[in-house]
Amino acid sequence: MKCLLSAIVILGVCLIISVFKLNPSSSLAWAEAWDLDSQEKGSSIVDKSVPTRMETARVTVDVVPSAADEEEEIVEIADPIYYWNKGMYHFNDKVYFWVLKPVARGYRWTVPEGARTGVKNFFYNLAFPIRFVNCLLQAKGRAAAGELGRFLLNTTVGMFGLGNPAKEHAALNPPDEDLGQSFGRWRIGNGFYVVWPFLGPSTLRDSVGLVGDSFLDPVRYVKPMEASIAITAGDTVNETSFRIGDYEALKEAAIDPYISIRDAYVQHRKKKVEE
Amino acid sequence: MNEQSKGGVGMKRRILGLTMMTVMALFVFPLHVNAGTPQQTIEAYVNKVLDVLREPASEGESGKKAKEEKIWSVFDGIFDYTELSKRTLSRNWKKFNGDQQKEFEDLFRKLLGNVYMDRILAYKDEKVLFHKESMLSDNKAEVRSKILTGTKEIPMDYRMIAKNDQWKVYDVIIEGVSMIKNYRSQFNSILSKKPPEALLKILRKKVSKA
Repeated sequence: MKCLLSAIVILGVCLIISVFKLNPSSSLAWAEAWDLDSQEKGSSIVDKSVPTRMETARVTVDVVPSAADEEEEIVEIADPIYYWNKGMYHFNDKVYFWVLKPVARGYRWTVPEGARTGVKNFFYNLAFPIRFVNCLLQAKGRAAAGELGRFLLNTTVGMFGLGNPAKEHAALNPPDEDLGQSFGRWRIGNGFYVVWPFLGPSTLRDSVGLVGDSFLDPVRYVKPMEASIAITAGDTVNETSFRIGDYEALKEAAIDPYISIRDAYVQHRKKKVEE
Repeated sequence: MNEQSKGGVGMKRRILGLTMMTVMALFVFPLHVNAGTPQQTIEAYVNKVLDVLREPASEGESGKKAKEEKIWSVFDGIFDYTELSKRTLSRNWKKFNGDQQKEFEDLFRKLLGNVYMDRILAYKDEKVLFHKESMLSDNKAEVRSKILTGTKEIPMDYRMIAKNDQWKVYDVIIEGVSMIKNYRSQFNSILSKKPPEALLKILRKKVSKA
């Protein structure tokens, strides 16, 4: 059954790749995105001492406030399967408002925050192999050591990861890594935008990453598969109970929520890769 | 500014005099209170907003209105709406005529204000920590802050530009997502198919709903 599922996913990805390759306009967009990406990377932040008030005043004299000529370009993403994505966006939106949100609300109302935090910590600790391996894949020695340290501390002193005594130590809290980010680090581009049912926004690169990472996720190896899915669902509800309102705010702020979320995903991932 | 005076009495007097004048000037020209480093500027504004939020609310709708009014005045001091609008519309800016540009600025101000207000109101019990500032160019800076909640840290960075001795915000970056880039992607998609007037219509509707 699991083999079958993996086969379907891989087949799907291959199909998408072939569609993508056959569509010249989208590969053009991809090339453009790639180009813009590298341009942005070129303009690194110049770290200088901050001018005092006086210096500021002097600087502003010869500054012509023209924004348009030196604008930073947005990160473009190809969207060759737009209609699928848009459909899945609406599907996930309904899943959120009709199922996930009411359930997470009831759960939040019943279960005290301390217990929910414990569950959150536990699952976070459990996913340690994903983060650790990806630190190694990106040759981030210090981050890998930090991950390992946190895992050991939280698993022992933190009682199987329910607690998070590592929280107070900056060295034990490196940024989260995953395979999508590792690919990004290896200069593999996003490919194009994909919205998966239930899983939400992703890209071709990050989708392959998700499949790869899932092999390092202990929950995946729980048998029977129904139990594994139930655990994942429970984790999702618990996680959502902390962020009710975030999605609503994002939607509320947007003029076109689909495009806003697509852009936010790509920007957010770009930052995580650079981190 | 902490001045060190090793000079004689005369020097001290002059410094005292200068200080007095500065203090008086601050009252006469309240705008200049905020001229400082980018970080000091934004920190002062954010603290002002937090202070307003923490004030005990007076009764009912009018109390809420008064609070919002105060927060709006802080926003107007720190955000450079013209810069925000130009940067967000980028090359589409030129497609707008003078009146349309003005209206866009006004609508965008209301939209961003509402969004930002909602976010701040949601975070009011949390701590805001400013931890880094760096210059992006001669007249642009980035100030990094973190919003600390019980369970997570939300990185919020401010991009600022120096104009007339003032540091003004032209972009807010939350968890790596630039607000102006995000709106630009949305406006681009609308303006690639429709004229400026259509976008203004959408914005008018959006703002009146909020």
